[in-house]
Amino acid sequence: MTPPQEPPLSPHPTEPRRPDGEHEVKGHTFRDTGDGEPEATPVVSATREPRRLTWQKLTFLPVTLLVVLLITWLWFRNADLDSISKNALADGNVWVRLKQHIELTVISTFFVLLIAIPLGILLTRKRLRPAAPFAMALANIGQATPAIGLLALLVIWMGIGMKAALVGMVIYAVLPVLSNTIAGLKANDPTLLEAARGIGMSPMGVLGKVELPLAVPLILAGVRTALVLNVGTATLATFGGGGGLGDLISTGITTQRMPVLVLGSILTVALALLVDWLASLAEIMLRPRGLEVRS
Amino acid sequence: MNFWDYLGSRHEQLLADAFQHASAVFQCMVIATLLGILIGVVTYRSEWAGNLATLTTSTILTVPSLALIGLLIPIVGLGVPPTVIALTLYGLLPIVRNSIVGLRGVDPALVDAAKGIGMSRTARLFKVELPLAWPPILTGIRVSTQMLMGIAAIAAYASGPGLGNEIFRGIGSLGSKNALNQVLAGTLGIVVLALLFDAAYVLIGRLTISRGIRV
Repeated sequence: MTPPQEPPLSPHPTEPRRPDGEHEVKGHTFRDTGDGEPEATPVVSATREPRRLTWQKLTFLPVTLLVVLLITWLWFRNADLDSISKNALADGNVWVRLKQHIELTVISTFFVLLIAIPLGILLTRKRLRPAAPFAMALANIGQATPAIGLLALLVIWMGIGMKAALVGMVIYAVLPVLSNTIAGLKANDPTLLEAARGIGMSPMGVLGKVELPLAVPLILAGVRTALVLNVGTATLATFGGGGGLGDLISTGITTQRMPVLVLGSILTVALALLVDWLASLAEIMLRPRGLEVRS
Repeated sequence: MNFWDYLGSRHEQLLADAFQHASAVFQCMVIATLLGILIGVVTYRSEWAGNLATLTTSTILTVPSLALIGLLIPIVGLGVPPTVIALTLYGLLPIVRNSIVGLRGVDPALVDAAKGIGMSRTARLFKVELPLAWPPILTGIRVSTQMLMGIAAIAAYASGPGLGNEIFRGIGSLGSKNALNQVLAGTLGIVVLALLFDAAYVLIGRLTISRGIRV
């Protein structure tokens, strides 16, 4: 009897995987029990490292975005703008707002990482572990707070400007990164940590050489979430005088000038998708080689 | 005027706003749930369709809410339509993803057993697969609802209904005495609504999760 080939493992952890010794033939599930011959383990061809990036993944989104932006630009050149629209876009305003938006996103993400990752590490250490559920419960209630309300409160408290917007964005995005860091560190196989300690690694060594590298995928997922959230929240900065592309959108809505509104919206969408795409590339590139699922 | 006086003098307006907020989120959640589970059921069997559904909905979620509303306004105008469309679209992702994950996670042996005792495909879906996949789907619904609470507040800027109006009124009158009260009332109102909805979902979970898989 030739043992049927195991279906290749999918790189997606969500994919249902059949338990060991079980396989499918023509839609029916069989399970090997007793002492039949063991299934052949699929041989991993070690000749070539699996490619991390496919060219589709590298080109599809940027090309789509370029096409959309090009169409928008062409449409915009032919749109007849009245004086209000022209005013809203004069003096390279679009460029200024775009730069502000990127600035807001980058700065807030930097601080989010600076706060959330060390805090996540601290909350999973033995001594502070009892505090973790409280921190998470607090953070969950914080998550129920609408971003716009939080921002408005901060503006009232700290005054109009970029600072209030940045603080609001940081508070808002810390939670996902924090919970991802904690989840990532907690999900590590305790036997691996035991083994690391067993070969005489110091606590710092275990953390730096075993725990963190293993948790990298989840932490990176958190970073990506934070970036995407921040691009979104940055659109709200305009309501507190913080600038950003939200400025174009809100001007477009209040003055009923559709070209301004559409231009602001499309630029925001393009920026958000681009940031998400870059973060997804980083996620793939920075994942430790040892964690790769070979197919 | 302190916060309590403010609540006392404006409670009618606030309650009306809160009711509209809750009802907008609730109605959009019903649409998003039905649509999301439908998409999940249709796509979970095939690898690429399921991935495509997840990818599409997660792309929608990547789009900032103000920008999506901004793109909807030229098409459907101001007010309720962009709010409903935006809320429904944003509500889809967690539900679609969790239904696909939940349905794919059902032990194939159980489905096989159902097939073995002669259940039709529809019966298998409704009596075996969906009940088993229901807990993750319900989690998706909870996550969606919490998210929609905040997005509905932003939709108020496009003349949408709800407590977001209170917040934007406060922002519009920055520096006046009532600005803080208005923003605080709107924000806390939304937090309270979100927690109430969450409690309701816990209750729904108790009542609807099949007894055999209850933890």
